[in-house]
Amino acid sequence: MTARQDDRYAFDGLPLGPVDPGTSVIVTGPVLDGARELGLRLLRCDDGDCGVVIIAADSGAATTAEDFERYGGTFDRNRVGVVDCAQDGREPPADCVSAVGTPADLTGIGIEYSGHYERLYAAGYERVRTGILTVTPLLVYSEDVRPVYRFLNTVTGRIDTAGGVGACVVDPKAHDEQVVESLVQCFDGRIHVRSGDEGLELRVDGLPDQPTDWTAVDPAA
Amino acid sequence: MTRDSPTVLCADPDDASRAATVDALASAGLAVMEAASIRALESTLDDAVDCVVTAFEFDDGDGFDAVDAVRAANPDCVCVLFTDRDPSDLPRGAPEQVVEYVPKPDDGSRDRLTEVVATAAAETTQAAYPLPEAEAERLAAVRQYDVASLSAAETFDRLTALMASHFDIDVAFVGLVDEHEERFLACEGANWRTLAREDSICTHTILTDETVVVEDVREDPRFAAVDALEELDIRSYAGARITDDAGNALGAVCCTDGEPRRYSRAELDDLRRFADEVEEQLRLRRQLGGAPR
Repeated sequence: MTARQDDRYAFDGLPLGPVDPGTSVIVTGPVLDGARELGLRLLRCDDGDCGVVIIAADSGAATTAEDFERYGGTFDRNRVGVVDCAQDGREPPADCVSAVGTPADLTGIGIEYSGHYERLYAAGYERVRTGILTVTPLLVYSEDVRPVYRFLNTVTGRIDTAGGVGACVVDPKAHDEQVVESLVQCFDGRIHVRSGDEGLELRVDGLPDQPTDWTAVDPAA
Repeated sequence: MTRDSPTVLCADPDDASRAATVDALASAGLAVMEAASIRALESTLDDAVDCVVTAFEFDDGDGFDAVDAVRAANPDCVCVLFTDRDPSDLPRGAPEQVVEYVPKPDDGSRDRLTEVVATAAAETTQAAYPLPEAEAERLAAVRQYDVASLSAAETFDRLTALMASHFDIDVAFVGLVDEHEERFLACEGANWRTLAREDSICTHTILTDETVVVEDVREDPRFAAVDALEELDIRSYAGARITDDAGNALGAVCCTDGEPRRYSRAELDDLRRFADEVEEQLRLRRQLGGAPR
């Protein structure tokens, strides 16, 4: 994967170098203690030239939208789409949200995801950031892990071919270690997250020019 | 995984719409086949098809029936729904089907479809299993090992017979992991020929240089729901990856049994030695000029 320097995706406010278009990462760590926050911060696009599609699986669209803005994102309905498969009963924040009845419906989630991606593409957003927050409900609701592999391969395949960037969050302690290790294989790189004495820290496997040792993350602006 | 000319099957009951899609895909350099019904799609499908682009409404079913037919014949095939129906207007398919979706624009353009299909069809983007890095290079390496031409089958038969006796297990085998299935080169204790890659534990074994042990398939969330393993009476598994000189994973040398089983460190070291022997045999026979070019 090669790209011109100015085509790469940057991550403002995070101690990460830019990545090439088409890159997908899995973010592993305690979901409520850093991994979910980092996943949302990877979707920030401060210059407004990116679309964003979020697959909200563990929190409803309203909560996800609030969290996205808390961590510095801008929930602009014209360039954000949410596939809500958690549906926590709160009113969705905008008509850019589509509902899928259950995290088990990987086919429905995938079609709605592609629908949002195509809507943004047609609106002129050729650079799209994708977040899967988190993959845990998809694994828990699916009786067989194989469709989850297919789902992740399909989403990362679209990100790759469309020149987007993607982040998928998982708490490794919520699943069998071998399952997590096999999920990692579906992605270009892995961002480990932990909450230390000094706050949030990260380190990266599998991507060039990224911190491989634990590195402090500044709080979201 | 890049191949020279992906083959796409276009299924659409509307003759004019199908012709427009076929023309657009063919203009992009894709080899295109066509079908006007689900039944025609079923009879046209074969292993050579990399991607199916399907409309949603047919006289004899819908787009999800088409996907069902595709998955039954070719589980890894990329499926793309191409329809003017909005995602929210589509009925729900089977939860595990997972497809791509491209809306059919009002102006009849196929530009976006062509972009998505041309790239997706060239890769195994809907595989129901994790793929190794550099899969294209790995598959090219596997294709160099046509064991019939290497005259290695008898050697591997003797080796797997020795393994079954040594480990006191039901089945010992040597398998190569091809693009869509595992192909058993030698199999002592059973008469297995091939196994779909999404059903094979070796699909995971080729991802790591460590020996893989599954003490009880029913207790491992990666494999507990795989009916094929139950049908083959595979309750426990140990496998060691085999590679070529460049490090490409070709397949695995494995033990299976109908009962849960643990393996000692010494047994796993022995399994690794058997795998090393298979690697050596393959390497030597290729050096002797038996491999096809």
